[in-house]
Amino acid sequence: MKALLLFGFLLLLGLWYLSFLATRLDRLHHRVETSWANLDVLLQKRAAIALEIAHSDLADPASSLLLTGAAYQARDADIKNRSMAESGLSGALGLLISDGLAHATQLEQSLLQELSALTAKIRVAISIHTDAVSSTVMVRRKFVVRTFRLAGTAPLPVTYEFESDVL
Amino acid sequence: MLTTKLRIGIVCPYGWDTPGGVQNHVRDLAEFLIASGHTVSVLAPAIDEEKLPDYVVSAGKPISIPYNGAVARVLFGPIAYARVRQWIGAGNFDLLHLHEPAIPSISLLACWAAEGPMVGTFHAAAKRQKVIFAIGPILEPAIEKLSVRIAVSEAARLTLTDHLETDAVVVPNGIYAKRYSDGSAQEKWSGNTIGFIGRFEEPRKGLQVLVDALPIIARFAPDVKVFVAGPGDPKDFEKEIDPQLRDRFEFLGKISEQEKADFMSSVSLYVAPNTGGESFGIILAEALAGGACVVASDIPAFDSLLGSGKYGALFESENSTDLAKVVIDLLRDEEKRKKLAIEGKKRAQLFDWEVVAQQIFSIYEMAMVGGKGVTLGSDHRSWNRFLSRDEEKR
Repeated sequence: MKALLLFGFLLLLGLWYLSFLATRLDRLHHRVETSWANLDVLLQKRAAIALEIAHSDLADPASSLLLTGAAYQARDADIKNRSMAESGLSGALGLLISDGLAHATQLEQSLLQELSALTAKIRVAISIHTDAVSSTVMVRRKFVVRTFRLAGTAPLPVTYEFESDVL
Repeated sequence: MLTTKLRIGIVCPYGWDTPGGVQNHVRDLAEFLIASGHTVSVLAPAIDEEKLPDYVVSAGKPISIPYNGAVARVLFGPIAYARVRQWIGAGNFDLLHLHEPAIPSISLLACWAAEGPMVGTFHAAAKRQKVIFAIGPILEPAIEKLSVRIAVSEAARLTLTDHLETDAVVVPNGIYAKRYSDGSAQEKWSGNTIGFIGRFEEPRKGLQVLVDALPIIARFAPDVKVFVAGPGDPKDFEKEIDPQLRDRFEFLGKISEQEKADFMSSVSLYVAPNTGGESFGIILAEALAGGACVVASDIPAFDSLLGSGKYGALFESENSTDLAKVVIDLLRDEEKRKKLAIEGKKRAQLFDWEVVAQQIFSIYEMAMVGGKGVTLGSDHRSWNRFLSRDEEKR
């Protein structure tokens, strides 16, 4: 009788732990989605500004072409290729800004300012997202989580590789 | 600028009526947010519930526990937990901002109880402690609920990555830079003078290092005077000072904000000889904003705040000979003092609330994407859903 009670208690405890872990995991997945949505919005905004810069007088025809191409690529890339496409855009923008700052007019100055404010936000968003992904991946690697398939059908979050120094 | 008006709940873990860096930070942040039109409620332990400003809600009387080498006045326990839950439930917040959620306090309780957009700020910088590794796995499920973690300095961020294996965004502490920038130089504090502000009785503030350095400094600068401002009883301290040099020290007691501004623009040098336990160094930021030329020990927080010597001089921590050397050099070189003070003042603008609050607010926005506001975690329990099926109501 005593053994049975103990067994029942342990079983309950185990079930509670599983449900606890599942809640935790669900929350983490939610966090990854949120941080990604954040980053995505900011990156889309950046692509839009890049296009605007490409169409302004700041860009000569060649860099305009380069920038437009990079911006469209960044917009269309799927999540796995996204970081590479975005790095390409960062590179193109970096090239232009380093030469362009000297002879920018008022309007273009404000565009560039907007861009640099956005870049600061993107940097923060990236670190938030990276952290969310790594903690999710850490929990998903747990033995219990894998054996009981607590993650369900949720895809394993992709780490977003981003060279922050290009920004 | 700050356009959307939010309902923000801030939790301060330490007793509201005891002085401290975290409390000051929470107070300034709350007041800044209120001034920009947001609705803010601060939950904090308090000894005297009558004297609280109207945006502060008391969570009960704090208890003193030894923590991290100092006495922390915090609060936890079932009654506190009930109050925290009540506050969250009634607050209808868009976002919670928890300060220092990794210590046993109402911040941790709030983190435990709430579900939704939460931002946590980590203030402490501590050396690796074994005990943290033991409680780390317990804290982890709570800490990972935070949508965004903020560390107040690089040192605090390293503490966080070391202890809890999670990264953070660095947003510095804020100061009201303007309050310090319009101080006028006072005759009584000018000349070959050294300033020090802080609770000098605490060994980690390092006044002793300055006292030990003074004999050497006095040899090269015979007319040097040291002004010590800050609460405390100087009697015990004066006994320690070499009798011949005793009259070079003047204890001013606690000084007001306006006096502080004047103080910073009057003294030749502001010295911060802290030996550790400092995570950001708000007093240095204030000194820089006040236009003082700063000499500080090279502990990590000060080193990064002063840009490794670009915005103020550094000396080897706890080495009074090195301190004397740096001080003598600077007292003789007015040109260099001016240059450092000008650079420092520019630096201090980065810590102004206008800048810092904007950074914090953009983090709030990021934390709230897709969020539906803060609710109590227990509302989501599956058996509640079975029993009452009220999920659609929310």
